[in-house]
Amino acid sequence: MSGQEDITRIRVQYTKGHELRFIGHLDMQRLWERLLRRSGLPIRYTQGYHPRARLNLASALPLGFISDAELLDFWMNEPLPLDDIRERLSAATPPGLTIVSVQDVDLREDALQVQMTASEFKVSFFDPQDETTLKNKVKTLLDQNEIIRSRRKKTYDLHPLIMGLEITVVDEIEVGLWMRLLAEPGATGRPDEVMDELGFENTEYLILRTKLILNKI
Amino acid sequence: MTFPSSESLWRRVERLLPTVIKPGRYVGGELNQTVKPWDSVLTHVALVFPDIYDLGQSNLGIAILYDILNQREDIAAERAFSPWTDMEAALRETEIPLYSLENKRPLADFDIIGVSLPYETLYTNFLNILDLARVPIFSQERTKDHPLIIAGGESVYNPEPVAPFVDAFAIGEGEEVILAIVEAYQTWQKVGGSRYDLLIHLAEIPGVYVPSLYEVTYQDDGTIADVTPTHTAAKTPITKRIMATLPPPLTHFIVPNVETVQERVSVEIMRGCTRGCRFCHAGMVNRPIRERSLEEILTALRRGLEQTGYEDLSLLSLSSSDYSQIIPLIEGLRELLTERQVDITLPSLRIESFSEELMDVLQTLTPGGGFTLAPEAGTERLREVINKPISDEELLETARSIFKHGWNSIKLYFMIGHPQETLEDIQAIVDLCKTILREGRKLVGGRARLHAGISTFIPKPHTPFQWAAFDALDSIESKLEILRSGLHGVKIKMTWNDPQESLLEAWLSRGDRRIADVIYHAWRNGARFDAWREHFNIEHWQQAFETVGLDPGFYSHRARDLDETLPWDHIHTGVRKDFLKKDYQWSLEGRIRPDCRERCYGCGILTAFNELRLKSPDGGWKCP
Repeated sequence: MSGQEDITRIRVQYTKGHELRFIGHLDMQRLWERLLRRSGLPIRYTQGYHPRARLNLASALPLGFISDAELLDFWMNEPLPLDDIRERLSAATPPGLTIVSVQDVDLREDALQVQMTASEFKVSFFDPQDETTLKNKVKTLLDQNEIIRSRRKKTYDLHPLIMGLEITVVDEIEVGLWMRLLAEPGATGRPDEVMDELGFENTEYLILRTKLILNKI
Repeated sequence: MTFPSSESLWRRVERLLPTVIKPGRYVGGELNQTVKPWDSVLTHVALVFPDIYDLGQSNLGIAILYDILNQREDIAAERAFSPWTDMEAALRETEIPLYSLENKRPLADFDIIGVSLPYETLYTNFLNILDLARVPIFSQERTKDHPLIIAGGESVYNPEPVAPFVDAFAIGEGEEVILAIVEAYQTWQKVGGSRYDLLIHLAEIPGVYVPSLYEVTYQDDGTIADVTPTHTAAKTPITKRIMATLPPPLTHFIVPNVETVQERVSVEIMRGCTRGCRFCHAGMVNRPIRERSLEEILTALRRGLEQTGYEDLSLLSLSSSDYSQIIPLIEGLRELLTERQVDITLPSLRIESFSEELMDVLQTLTPGGGFTLAPEAGTERLREVINKPISDEELLETARSIFKHGWNSIKLYFMIGHPQETLEDIQAIVDLCKTILREGRKLVGGRARLHAGISTFIPKPHTPFQWAAFDALDSIESKLEILRSGLHGVKIKMTWNDPQESLLEAWLSRGDRRIADVIYHAWRNGARFDAWREHFNIEHWQQAFETVGLDPGFYSHRARDLDETLPWDHIHTGVRKDFLKKDYQWSLEGRIRPDCRERCYGCGILTAFNELRLKSPDGGWKCP
């Protein structure tokens, strides 16, 4: 067994592609546990009858979303060169998941969830949207003093959770949305709720997470 | 018929998915799936398990065939499962046909659709899948432009109830015959010909049963008069296929992204069973017993863990403790376990084959938790009738040993409704449970737990009890009541099967070809997911019997005459009907038949497969 001083904390940035679009948060955790086992890296496990790999996902990504920028921490019993780690993880990925980067993290750092401050998203529509109409919808929404909604039987104001909401136009035709939402413990904005307020059903668009913002970065 | 191209089909499906429960069931894309470019292969086979993904994806049979077919460059095998009710409604409303998970192609685009039918309560789901795939339900309505519908699995050892829906059945073990079927199809593809020509080619393959080439006539009392082939290619009987040597086990498992019932590396350690329990279908139809070598099993488990990252592994067999190398196997598993931090499941241990030594090594493997035993009947007398002869003292001794070795909880399986059962046998279940719990308390105190799982005996084809009657519903209910009140308040948990569900199984398992119409009408009435308690509705079935004009009791509650021609007599499992008949007569005398690894009783297996055995002397057969 390796000593406590050899324990290493590794942070991975990865993508969640179309193949994994309909996989929820808990399933992503299971998927990562298996990915780590397949990698053959010296993973640190929990104690007990049913040992599980110790891992920590920064922020739950709801079912139906894809992402270019997910973050996860896991722990190893001994250090290894980052290139090796990256290579072994990449060799073990399932379809739809790509390893973007791998870095060493201080063991004493707070858990990723605690460090989260905000997330950024891009929304694309399955059917073409009229730019002016969409602009008006966004303006009407943001002009309100408050946007009262309820989630799990609690009412809350969505407005202060929206840090940014803008129209994007790709190639002068494809009209979409960009948003930055607060993601602090107990105050997390969900892009699908913003879309609901704008009057869109979840069958009309695809959400891509583009960035997780941590306080230290 | 024109269908949308797969890309636009998929685009439409993707927009439905956010509206259904657990959409990850309908998307494929898992690790270790095989996706071949559609036009790169000659023959497309859709493999279907007619229940939801969560169950079907865990089915080892389908996984093995998928692997075998996809190893061939000219064949692509893809998967499809039953959509759950919300997805079915969405597909029907948007008129999207059922599609495969790999290339997202409508099932009707495939050359062959292979359906796994391991149990009878999948039959309505099977019809529903054909309907969702827009393939005619009845074989005779299909043309050469439709996929060939083949079926296999444990329940089709009596193929008759689903005969009108299936073009060809694979009887027995599928590993070799699946390729023979696809090859015959390919020859027909190249040469051309009618659909009838194809069926003739298929009928020529040993172990393949093409029901439309047989005519069934009935006597006035409803029993079978004769089953007559209508073409020289159609043989009688059809002898099942077996593997002389078990092929290397599957290790390249698809790893589901959403949760399914069993996510583990499963390796079949042996096939067949020599115990000869008279109620047991699996024990009779899977003979002879063939073992895999210790090295092969351990290598496969290790390889499977590497390829999947699973945290669990499981050994499969009908009676694991009968495996000749069980102790070295468990020791090998223990090494694997410490090396890789995995859990292990070891089902089907038999009470009488439990040595202290086995208990000692097992205890190091799965400490704590529960232990399962299956006495099946409450008294020694009845256990002799069903040929599971364990004395009360043996049972108690095993239970004591389990508690002594550190387990706190025992699950006991019993069956009620056995032939020759009396109410004393039922009361004996209560007494036995109480005695075992009392013994447990002496050894581990208040931590001792007992769980009694009660199922209902269903007479199955090809077993010595195939002539017996299914117990009357009110009798089953009153027996359950004796158990419930007897076990009430003594901290013994009791679970039981719904007797009405057992009744459905009793109708279907010994059904003839005429009952196919009942299945069809039950499905039309709305029956599906009959294996799911929340969906099962016996009224759909009762109505269907009425519509068709058949008496359900004729199939379930009638004891068959020993000289009757049974609907499945033209399907040969290798075990002779005479042998089964004699064994049934022995049961009436309370005479037991010991494990046949000790001495051969001439069940017929060795005669039926003698040549095969000679060709593979290293097959690990355990016949003497």
